[in-house]
Amino acid sequence: MSTLDWSGSIGHTAAMFFRRLFGAVTLALCIALSSLPAVAQSPSRPGLPRDVQSIIDAKVLRVAVTRFDLPSFHVRGPDGRLLGPEIEMAQQIGRALGVSVDFVDNAESFDSVVDYVAAGRADIGISKLSQTYNRLKRVRFSEPYVTLRHALLFNRVAIAREAGGQPPAAVLQKYNGRLGVIAGSAYVDFAHRNFPDATVVEARNWDSAIQSLLSGQVDAIYRDEFEIRRILKNKPALNVQFGSAVITDQNALLSIAICDTCSKLEAFINYHIGMTRGEFSLKELLSSELGKQVR
Amino acid sequence: MKVPQGRGVDNSLKALSRTINQPAITLAAIVLALVLGVMRLPFLQYLRPVGDFYIALLQICVLPFLLATIPLAVRSAMDGGSAPGVLRSLLFWVLITLVAVASVSAIIPSLFFDYSSPDQQMISHIGALLGRSADTIDVEFAVDPRHAAEIKGAADSGIVSLIPTNIFASLSSNDSVRVLVFAVIFGVGMVLTERESGKSIFDALRHIQSVCTLIFDWFSLLVPIGIVALVAPQVALLGPDAFTALTLFAYAFLATSAVLLLAAPMLCAFALRASPASVFGALLKPVMLGASTRNSLVCVPLALDTLKNDLKVKDEPCDLYLPIGIATIRFGTILYFVSATLFIGTLMGRHFSLIDLGLLAVFSVGASFATLGLSGLAALAPLAIVLRPFGLSYEVAVPLMIIIDPLADMVRTMLNVAINCMIPTLAGGRGTIPTLQLSL
Repeated sequence: MSTLDWSGSIGHTAAMFFRRLFGAVTLALCIALSSLPAVAQSPSRPGLPRDVQSIIDAKVLRVAVTRFDLPSFHVRGPDGRLLGPEIEMAQQIGRALGVSVDFVDNAESFDSVVDYVAAGRADIGISKLSQTYNRLKRVRFSEPYVTLRHALLFNRVAIAREAGGQPPAAVLQKYNGRLGVIAGSAYVDFAHRNFPDATVVEARNWDSAIQSLLSGQVDAIYRDEFEIRRILKNKPALNVQFGSAVITDQNALLSIAICDTCSKLEAFINYHIGMTRGEFSLKELLSSELGKQVR
Repeated sequence: MKVPQGRGVDNSLKALSRTINQPAITLAAIVLALVLGVMRLPFLQYLRPVGDFYIALLQICVLPFLLATIPLAVRSAMDGGSAPGVLRSLLFWVLITLVAVASVSAIIPSLFFDYSSPDQQMISHIGALLGRSADTIDVEFAVDPRHAAEIKGAADSGIVSLIPTNIFASLSSNDSVRVLVFAVIFGVGMVLTERESGKSIFDALRHIQSVCTLIFDWFSLLVPIGIVALVAPQVALLGPDAFTALTLFAYAFLATSAVLLLAAPMLCAFALRASPASVFGALLKPVMLGASTRNSLVCVPLALDTLKNDLKVKDEPCDLYLPIGIATIRFGTILYFVSATLFIGTLMGRHFSLIDLGLLAVFSVGASFATLGLSGLAALAPLAIVLRPFGLSYEVAVPLMIIIDPLADMVRTMLNVAINCMIPTLAGGRGTIPTLQLSL
């Protein structure tokens, strides 16, 4: 065998080695990159989709909540601590999983809570969230822990004028005036779907929506029965000028948003909701002491 | 002359009834009932069954009495040849009275509300009442028409509700308006057939009428007890809310009612050339029976007896008008609807022009006819006909009106009886032949 042949053989072998090495590294990189989101979401068990085991391994359940209070559901106490039945429910789920609970309370809107869960920055989101078609494209939802009927608070005179002698329900059913809702809430979707002829006016928050009704910028505001009743309960004088209407065939299914891959966590949470069913009721929510912490 | 034994018992019964039902005793019973009611003593609940028993007794003979009296009155008018004149006169006074009552009902409360508007504290009280009584939800509806509750058309509404398609069903269901319509039609038919064949059952009807009158005489011995047993628990139903949040409405409604209740006997006295005090004393019985029973129709026999025998009003207009008028023309309801609409309008900041007041009066008269066949809280439903054209909320009005209804129901019935007694008096004046038997 000539020196040239030998050196040629060595060169060929080296080329083969580097080619295989490159292939192996590429494959490893591909596998690593493909599992990157899972690694980011579940720090302890790279390679597994985010679900119950990864939460147990991480020893923490990250719960997204709104940064603003939702009276009777969750509020910040005088010491800044989160309180309320939703907070208690999250802590019960954490205890049942054997992990601590970390509340991620930066969400500026209801949709933002869902964003946190969809982006993997929280395992679950709990903030009086209604299930909607748009949200269901991005996250899972538990069974509802409370179901509230949709409701309107409306200016009696404006609606009666529009009704022209008909009962107010006839106008409200096909409402085509200005309808106030909270921006970034499920009620934006609901308003467009249920009142297609109305002009939907998105308010920064619920207080702004109420203010727009009081000032006559809108003739009705749209949310759930609990919120409508709470306004009238806290300010009874409003009953004279403003009427309440419940939409009997539209329910807000208040549920926990769960990460899209967390099928076992969903089953776990559904089991917990089933075991504690009845802890949320409209009557109890309305009489809750936490409901009084309303601006 | 020897008086037959039965007639003697009858006369002594009437004498006893007159003694017991003297104006002074009736007034004393009213005052006692009001005092007991305002005190809201716990034992008043035990009076309620006594009152219900008394109303049941009074109702025993109402329909037979109407079925006998109306055909007899029709016959009397047709055979006497005076029917067209009496009817014209009655119609004239009915229209005048409707216009007058509707005008007074619009003017006095609107002046009242102009000078004393509700303050913020009262509005807060009313808001709290609304929130509590309506459980805070005013309207329920479905956005999907497939889920919307089917709006059942009223079985019978408007003029159809007056036609007695099945008189036996109307009798068994105590549907007095249809029974009255049947009695009028049947009375005309009986007179015409009597002229052809010479046969009739008018003597039998006259006997039935006498029997009913006798039975009413028995029960009228209990009027003072009935007033206390019925009025006191009813007044006690008025909660403190009626005296705080609804003071304004109560004052306006009661002040206007007082004007009308005083005007009716005064005009009767003028028409009869009698002393106002004696007319007032005579009318007190049927009017207070109305207040205590809250049932105008039950007062018909006593009202007829008072007009014809005590005040000596001509029989024909009384017999022809009173049963039908009391059953169909509800003057108290007209005032109530006008006052309620003006009050709700004041609460919601609506101003009523003179044209509005005129329309309000017309709508209220129309809505009062829509209450035919309805009683109690159900009779509030036609209030929507009056409120909604003015952009006012029926849903606000109903819970408020329910609070004041125990009192308002009594006053409405008093007005119905008093003003309906005034119409045949104005139409007929003093009769020359006072007794029913002779007129027939």
